[in-house]
Amino acid sequence: MPKDAIGPIVQGQGISLTIDGQAVMGNKGQTILEAALAHDIDIPYLCYNPRISKTGACRICLVRVNETMFKTACTEPIAPDMRVVTEDPELTEIRKGILEMLLAEGDHNCLYCDANGACELQNLVMRYDAAMPSGDFPRRHRTIDEASSKGLKRNEDRCVLCGRCVKACAEVQLNNVWQFTGRGGNTHLTSDLDAKIGDSTCVNCGTCAQLCPTGAITLQPVLGRGANWDLKKESSICIYCGVGCKIDFFKNKGGQLVRALGHPDGPNQGHLCVKGRFGFDFIQKPARLSKPLIRENGAFKEATWDEALDFVAARLKEIKAQHGPDAVAALTSAKCTNEDNYLMQKFMRAMVGTNNVDHCARL
Amino acid sequence: MMNRETVSRIVAARGTGRENLMMVLRDLETLSGNNQLSPETLEHVAEEMNLPASAISGFVGFYTMFSTRPRARYVLRVCKSGPCHVMGSGTIFGALEKYLGIRPGQATADGLFFLEKCECLGVCSVAPAMMVNYDLHGNLTEAKIKDLIAAYRAKTPTAAEQSGPEVEGRACVIRSEGQTKRLLETVGRVDPSSIDSFLQHKGYAAVRKALAEYTPEQVLQIVKDSGLRGRGGAGFPAGLKWSFIPKGDMPKYVICNADEGEPGTFKDRILMEENPHLVLEGMLLCGYAIGAATGYIYVRGEFRRAIDRLQGAIAQARAKGLLGQGIAGSAFHFDIFVKEGGGAYVCGEESSLINSMEGLRGYPRFRPPFPAGSGFRNSPTTVNNVETFASTPLIVLNGADWYKSVGTAKCPGTKLFCLSGRLNRTGLAELPMGTTLREVIETHGGGMKDGGKFKFAQVGGSAGGILAADLLDLPLDIDQTLQAGVTLGSGAVLVCGEETCPVDFLLNILSFFDHESCGQCTPCRVGSAQLHHLARKLAGRKAAPGDIDRMVEKALLMKKASLCAMGQSPILPVTTMVRNFRQEFERHGHPDHNCPACDRTLQRLYRAE
Ligand SMILES: Cc1cc2nc3c(=O)[nH]c(=O)nc-3n(C[C@H](O)[C@H](O)[C@H](O)COP(=O)(O)O)c2cc1C
Ligand code: SF4
Repeated sequence: MPKDAIGPIVQGQGISLTIDGQAVMGNKGQTILEAALAHDIDIPYLCYNPRISKTGACRICLVRVNETMFKTACTEPIAPDMRVVTEDPELTEIRKGILEMLLAEGDHNCLYCDANGACELQNLVMRYDAAMPSGDFPRRHRTIDEASSKGLKRNEDRCVLCGRCVKACAEVQLNNVWQFTGRGGNTHLTSDLDAKIGDSTCVNCGTCAQLCPTGAITLQPVLGRGANWDLKKESSICIYCGVGCKIDFFKNKGGQLVRALGHPDGPNQGHLCVKGRFGFDFIQKPARLSKPLIRENGAFKEATWDEALDFVAARLKEIKAQHGPDAVAALTSAKCTNEDNYLMQKFMRAMVGTNNVDHCARL
Repeated sequence: MMNRETVSRIVAARGTGRENLMMVLRDLETLSGNNQLSPETLEHVAEEMNLPASAISGFVGFYTMFSTRPRARYVLRVCKSGPCHVMGSGTIFGALEKYLGIRPGQATADGLFFLEKCECLGVCSVAPAMMVNYDLHGNLTEAKIKDLIAAYRAKTPTAAEQSGPEVEGRACVIRSEGQTKRLLETVGRVDPSSIDSFLQHKGYAAVRKALAEYTPEQVLQIVKDSGLRGRGGAGFPAGLKWSFIPKGDMPKYVICNADEGEPGTFKDRILMEENPHLVLEGMLLCGYAIGAATGYIYVRGEFRRAIDRLQGAIAQARAKGLLGQGIAGSAFHFDIFVKEGGGAYVCGEESSLINSMEGLRGYPRFRPPFPAGSGFRNSPTTVNNVETFASTPLIVLNGADWYKSVGTAKCPGTKLFCLSGRLNRTGLAELPMGTTLREVIETHGGGMKDGGKFKFAQVGGSAGGILAADLLDLPLDIDQTLQAGVTLGSGAVLVCGEETCPVDFLLNILSFFDHESCGQCTPCRVGSAQLHHLARKLAGRKAAPGDIDRMVEKALLMKKASLCAMGQSPILPVTTMVRNFRQEFERHGHPDHNCPACDRTLQRLYRAE
């Protein structure tokens, strides 16, 4: 979580406490987890996410408060002189016990899971040396629907019921497609009224998949696939609209773009819409023009950039001389950056001398 | 199938706000003729109430009284909870299968009957019991089942009460010498459907006295001085709880917890059925003390008679100026409304209850914030039990000292004990706090049924501990039970004789927790299912070595890590049961051990699964 999300200590509202013996200052209203994260103190969690309201349900972030009490760090407000212990043998045992319950409840075979290598459950299982518990507990069988939607794959057998997807849809995208239904061990997700996700009112923003800590909800591949540990991340700005969302693109070993995740620091604060999330397929499609073509006698012929630019410059000059500047118009693309578009209209107005500029800002 | 106009009419009548969802769905299910909320109906509801379809699906999926699949004209819900189990609910399933040819989850071919197993119906003194749509019937036998089925075949369903006379509140009060009747004093003498009758028995005198003589602070102080502790299970001092409500002009709510789902408990139902005005009066006093203008009673949906009587009482109190604006000529305004539950034990947990009232899934909320700061509609709210509220008019009228004249020093007053199981007399008894289990059983329960031998009692409901013969002389109050490693809880006393198999009994309890866990937090959701699984293996004599201790470990993890008190509950029955009957548990670990009781349960309740 970005530290500045917590904000500086407000004058006169600072609360001092200790976490693992370390003196820490936090703000009134902060939870133990928020105060800890702001000081790079690592408390494990599954249901917490800074982009949604508190849940307190996975119980992994349980910490010891004032020696005798167990509290979930994600919900418990800090208090003056509070003493927090984030790890001790008993806490370790509790966390391991909870993780083993989750392992027993679902189908957590990483071998064929999309989240392998980028899974918050897997990380915790490693960290706490958790294993499948003895007792041959029957596991739950829930919905697997990996084909109905163009955007999402759903494999609820990998769900830990943290509820992030439900809240992502309700609180971030404000679409309320996901909800829990059933009760107790039979609790599971529903999209709308038990619709297939592809038939639901889902708008494929993909926020649920981005927040899912496991492989229960994942994104359909756009151009390629690849093991998570082989993916290279590059951040960029979305080409589609004026919000200018910051996107982390992931490329596989073969150089194919695999997925797009919203970057927490952009104006989008991690969010993306369907276009930013999935609309990058054109980049590596064979149909995309990557070299200039000049039409000669009705057929396209490949050209060098110099040839093409010389040709265009000459023709523009000719047309302007013959018919005046208003005989020329420019239509640019919303997929170009702001700076490119600025240059284009500047070129048209200052060099060509016309106001005939437009751009396809309606992607 | 339900057309859009019908849905629209019902929504208009109940209100479009989300808080009305439970009643809208209940009406529609009743109208459906086959007790179904079809997907088309639910789509209409979502549109008419302007709610996300997923919210409707999530809501319906949480409350077990609803079904999206077609059932039948009559839904037969046979209780399988502890008291009914001990009294032979298994034979009822057998009898129904014999007469109707259906097992749980099946309907008769003529579309008349659909069979379900359900948890405690709150009529435990007449166990075994079942509910036919909303009619309760107790003291079931094979012969009675036969007659009932014939009677239902012959009639058409109506909304009117058709419950059996044996489940009438007053019929469930034990007539024994030596009770200290305060709450029950007027039961049988006051006509519950007449406010005039209640007024003749000092009805609303406490409210009149408080409004005329006391400030709100003084009322609060009297309740504090009385030492009254909550009767819903946790025993929190009522006056102290009320004092947490902030002062000021904001909306505040008084909520009466009448969800009464704790197996073996039926005291609140009897109070509401027989003395509904006493409950209303207690809520009024609370409202006056904390400065609230609105009260709600959340009654479990199964208690149709209690709901009807409360509704009637509220209407009469309004007509007499005892509810509404300017009560009894004072400047105090207060009104009370009834909310209904949908078949979820966890909704008795106060924050889950508040979510349920708001039209949400009954998930408990994490704390803080506590309801006193942010409860119903995020406003200050106090939630108290029916018996707690019913006690306050007596306290305000007679004074704190009078109240403390019975009971123990730290737990003054009387307690309603709900007697069920293998006793000669079952039903409700009002006894001073601190009465021993022996006295409860021998004096008020009339001793063991058919001269049987006492084996153990579970006190406090399914979440309660097991008391074997060594604790027969333990004074039953809130603190002394805790010190002895058990609990008083709701005051349910389920008595079992020698024939009861502790493994079978524990399986029953753990199936209850599995069924009733809300599923929100990991330890309780998975832990309850795993406990149930281990108990089932043990009952089937298929346990692995170490499974008994594994159960204790699981329950302990649940206790340490669960979000609400529900997940913290199984530890008590598990450890007390294992401690008392370890040998019998270990014997079940052998594949060749013979246990007809476990065999019957597995055969009747697990066969189809
Ligand atoms: C799982 C669960 C179920 C409960 N069921 C009930 C109930 O049916 N009735 C009730 O009064 N309290 C019930 N409680 C206790 C309530 O949360 C709450 O403590 C009580 O209503 C407060 O009232 P009191 O202070 O008057 O006892 C339940 C608690 C839990 C954890
Ligand atoms: S302890 Fe059980 S009932 Fe309570 S919140 Fe957790 S899952 Fe729900």
